[in-house]
Amino acid sequence: MLKFLSKRLAQMAFLFFLFLSLVFFLLQAQPGDISNLFIDPNLPREVQEQVRERLGLDGSVWQQWWTYIINFFQGNLGVSFSQFPRPVTEIILERLPRTLFLFTLATLFSYVLGFNLGKHLAWRRGGFSEYSVTISGVLLYTVFYPWFAVIMILTFGSRLGFFPINGFLTPELWRNAPYGGNQVFNQLLLCLAIAGAVAAVTALVARRQEERPRARMIRRVGYGLAIASIFLFWLPQTTMRPFALDIAHHAVLPIATLTLVAFAGVMLLTRGSMLETLREDYILTARAKGVPERDIRDRHAARNALLPVVTSFVLGLAFIIGGGVVTETVFSWPGMGQLLLGATLIEDIPLATGALGFIGILALFAHLMVDLLYAVLDPRIRIQAGT
Amino acid sequence: MVIKEQDPSDLLTHAEDQVLAAGDDLPQSLWRVRLTLAWKGFKRNWALFAENKIGLLGLAIIVSFAALALSYPLLRSVGPWQDDAVYDPIIGHEAVLEDFEIVATAADVVDPTVQMDANTAQLFCFGAGPGDTCTIARQPARPGPDHILGTDPLGRDIASQLAFSTRAAFMLGMIAAVVTVVVATIVGSMAAFYGGWIDNSLMRLADLVLLLPLIPILIVMSGLFQITLPLLGILIGILSGFGGTAIVLKSQALSIKVKPFIDAARVSGGSNRHLIFKHIIPNVLPLSFLFMVFTVTDAISLEATLSFFGLLNVDMSWGIMLNIAQTEGYLRFGLQYWWLLVPGGLAVTLLAAGFFFVGRAMDEVINPRLRAR
Amino acid sequence: MKGNGAEAPVLEVKNLVMNYEIKSGMVSAVEDVSFTLPKGKSLGLVGESGCGKTSVALTLLQLQASNARILGGEVILDGENLLDLSPEEMRKRRWSGISMVFQGAMNSWNPVYTVGEQIREAIDLHWRPKPTAAEARAKIVELYQMVGLNPEMIDRYPHEYSGGMKQRAVIAMALSCNPKLIVADEPTTALDVIVQEQILAELKKIQEELGMSIIYISHDIAVIAEITDLLGVMYAGKLVEVGSTSEVFARPRHPYTWLILSSTPSITGERRKLAPLEGEPPNLLDPPTGCRFHPRCPFATEVCVTKEPPLEDIGGGHSVACWNYQMVPETLARGVV
Repeated sequence: MLKFLSKRLAQMAFLFFLFLSLVFFLLQAQPGDISNLFIDPNLPREVQEQVRERLGLDGSVWQQWWTYIINFFQGNLGVSFSQFPRPVTEIILERLPRTLFLFTLATLFSYVLGFNLGKHLAWRRGGFSEYSVTISGVLLYTVFYPWFAVIMILTFGSRLGFFPINGFLTPELWRNAPYGGNQVFNQLLLCLAIAGAVAAVTALVARRQEERPRARMIRRVGYGLAIASIFLFWLPQTTMRPFALDIAHHAVLPIATLTLVAFAGVMLLTRGSMLETLREDYILTARAKGVPERDIRDRHAARNALLPVVTSFVLGLAFIIGGGVVTETVFSWPGMGQLLLGATLIEDIPLATGALGFIGILALFAHLMVDLLYAVLDPRIRIQAGT
Repeated sequence: MVIKEQDPSDLLTHAEDQVLAAGDDLPQSLWRVRLTLAWKGFKRNWALFAENKIGLLGLAIIVSFAALALSYPLLRSVGPWQDDAVYDPIIGHEAVLEDFEIVATAADVVDPTVQMDANTAQLFCFGAGPGDTCTIARQPARPGPDHILGTDPLGRDIASQLAFSTRAAFMLGMIAAVVTVVVATIVGSMAAFYGGWIDNSLMRLADLVLLLPLIPILIVMSGLFQITLPLLGILIGILSGFGGTAIVLKSQALSIKVKPFIDAARVSGGSNRHLIFKHIIPNVLPLSFLFMVFTVTDAISLEATLSFFGLLNVDMSWGIMLNIAQTEGYLRFGLQYWWLLVPGGLAVTLLAAGFFFVGRAMDEVINPRLRAR
Repeated sequence: MKGNGAEAPVLEVKNLVMNYEIKSGMVSAVEDVSFTLPKGKSLGLVGESGCGKTSVALTLLQLQASNARILGGEVILDGENLLDLSPEEMRKRRWSGISMVFQGAMNSWNPVYTVGEQIREAIDLHWRPKPTAAEARAKIVELYQMVGLNPEMIDRYPHEYSGGMKQRAVIAMALSCNPKLIVADEPTTALDVIVQEQILAELKKIQEELGMSIIYISHDIAVIAEITDLLGVMYAGKLVEVGSTSEVFARPRHPYTWLILSSTPSITGERRKLAPLEGEPPNLLDPPTGCRFHPRCPFATEVCVTKEPPLEDIGGGHSVACWNYQMVPETLARGVV
């Protein structure tokens, strides 16, 4: 397992290196010289050269490239033009948790929801419900996403007024708040991380149980505890609670929108994968063994149908990250995506490329997590990795 | 029993041999044979395709949009929009005059929609007070007899924008699709055929492209370069061609590479180039066409997304129509100005869905395993 | 062989009729099939692919495809008609009443669970009272030893087994709930000849030791002949001949049996010309009138085209469905094996 992990890590590092190089050469390929942004052409030549040297733009392209890579790994991404003189790294690190929050929750929800619905769709083949759910799934999958997001805002924000139409928090409420937005948000993240850890440990422990009724009981207690931990976490923090609720309230609609669109793809894929699995001989064997239908669906078919769905996550990843950028922009959710688009629109190049680099890290990291998950799920990979 | 496998594309050669043997008027018959074979293959596949209702629906959507794209030049040259600059999707302008009775001054109104109207009224009929009648030139205008889908905030006809943009969407889709197929077919076939370091480096590249979040990259690129529609098509085509499509086509090419007819061709002295172009690529092509269709879906949505954010150097497109509605601040009125919001978004969704449906149906023709029992 | 004819049969199939419903009509897959399997005996069902033998096997366990329609007949296991049972009751009979060894053991194992877990699943489902983990484990070890597998393999995953090992494990699983009857559908087709021999010998040994009943299904009449007591020959959804294996082999009475036995080359026998079986099996969407074999039959007469021959006992427990069985030569075009 360790060998497998280190091999994957090395691969990821190499891919990231390629990615950064690509970003760098994109920068190089743009028309004109970036130093022109800083250098007044009326300056004497020698002064121009000096400025170039100070900016590190005097060497050859390869030297500059190497410097860029080294700087990135040292966390030195330069200084933002638009928020001068804040370093890019600082701005990005402030935004990163908000994007992670949106991305993680939407991914989790869309996979859990999409997988379970797809499973049932394939199982109950034919019939009106299957047909209508599939059609709406395909429509959600092909819908023009920014437009869909706008319509969600218009429906649930403007018309029904269930949720705030955009933003991260309600300014009026926070005017005299004793906390900063980030402070409260970090508490929210902490709370979710605790609940998530409890749930993950529960799932792991329940998997190892041989006795099924006992496993079921452990699951019930564990997931109950996870939910209870959220309440316990906020119970003593009476003053911070309304502010946390405000942020959570703002987060509902963007997460729901991204989930809805991303879940459709997962659902369609699970359905297809499940239909193929159901034709496998081992399903017939399970049936011949007298395994109850529910167990055939969940333990035998769905467990195997999950594998291609997990693999496809790599393909879905780019979609969710792209969708995340759109979501953040349409909902004015101040995360990395909105940062990226905003920086691009006002041509703050260090900030835009820095944000792109971090989005690349995010993608690679998620990919790594999926690889690990796959190794846990598929014994064929697990054994290979172990030897 | 050993099942003899034959390269399907060889059928053509054999048919040609027969014609040669018959000694007919050669060039003409050759063409006839090719056409007959192509027609037969088409009819067989069409029968399979036509069983799929969703595929037919998709085709119907695409055909209607093609008609819409054709309608623009027709309407402008011989139709009712003939030579009328008002119907130019980019520089046309017309305001609709409406009479209003003034009931209150702008400052007294709370509702933002009404307040905007009231502000306009003050601008047009300076000095008029409650009780007076005022004629206001309104844009965006509601759908009416002159403008069947109304006008946008700049007074341009939405219907003509919609029809005009359709052509751009098709063009973009076609460019992206063709580039994808050419790149992916060559990359996939080469990786499968040569193996070794060529395969390795091409597949690592594919991994990278697959992992890259396309939208963020295109966003940053649009900040660095002027991206026009054809350029966007080529970019999408290259990225998609080196990425996932290449991987799928490679596995298809691999399964062809081990078939007996490749060995047969090799034994009978076929060069590598001959093998790739005459045997591997023709057999990978059907699958390529499938990905062509899916690429069109992606390209249309991507263009619309980027235009929606105002990142492309494009005069008019469905994305731009929504971008204008957004930047001019009409989104906050909800569905009151539905004609600004619905046509563009619906067109993107429908056309993308149409290509997606056709792709799904083609998938079932090509992969028999997916067909319903 | 122990047991005598008077003992109650473990399985009786009476006039079973099953069709598959497809878009273009009804495929008559199993037509009026009847046979009886005494306790502790083995029956071989042979026929070309598509003749309905697997359909019969699946119907015994009520595992037929969703488009299958059982139009009549009875499947009586130990005095109980399985076709009358509710799905839930049928589920309980599976594996404890009839278990099955499927064709292609390669794919009979779910790749994500260990083989031991999958056998344990069957034991947990059917043993009453429910066994403890130790009891189940002991049983699996016993089964592994019985089929000649190393018990250390129990906790391995299917992909760590070779083809022959997987097939042995499948047999172990089939035995795990002490079924009254095992249906083995092409149990060795995917394996190489030597492993095939070993496994068949193993199965026969186990069957005799445990006094179990087995139905073997195969397209290979030579393989089946070595290990079964009874032999049934199917053609185009019908059982055309059934009798004791030695009798059918020595004196095939149905022209189809006669032809397939004649078309099997023999290394030990004298040199001879093989009688070819001409033509294609019929389209079951629209089966031939009368005897379904008549278009290919060298002995066909007018009555074969119009009237369907019943399966009739011609003495000594040997039944045949043919109007002209007396025309079939007493000897094959070769020496008897």
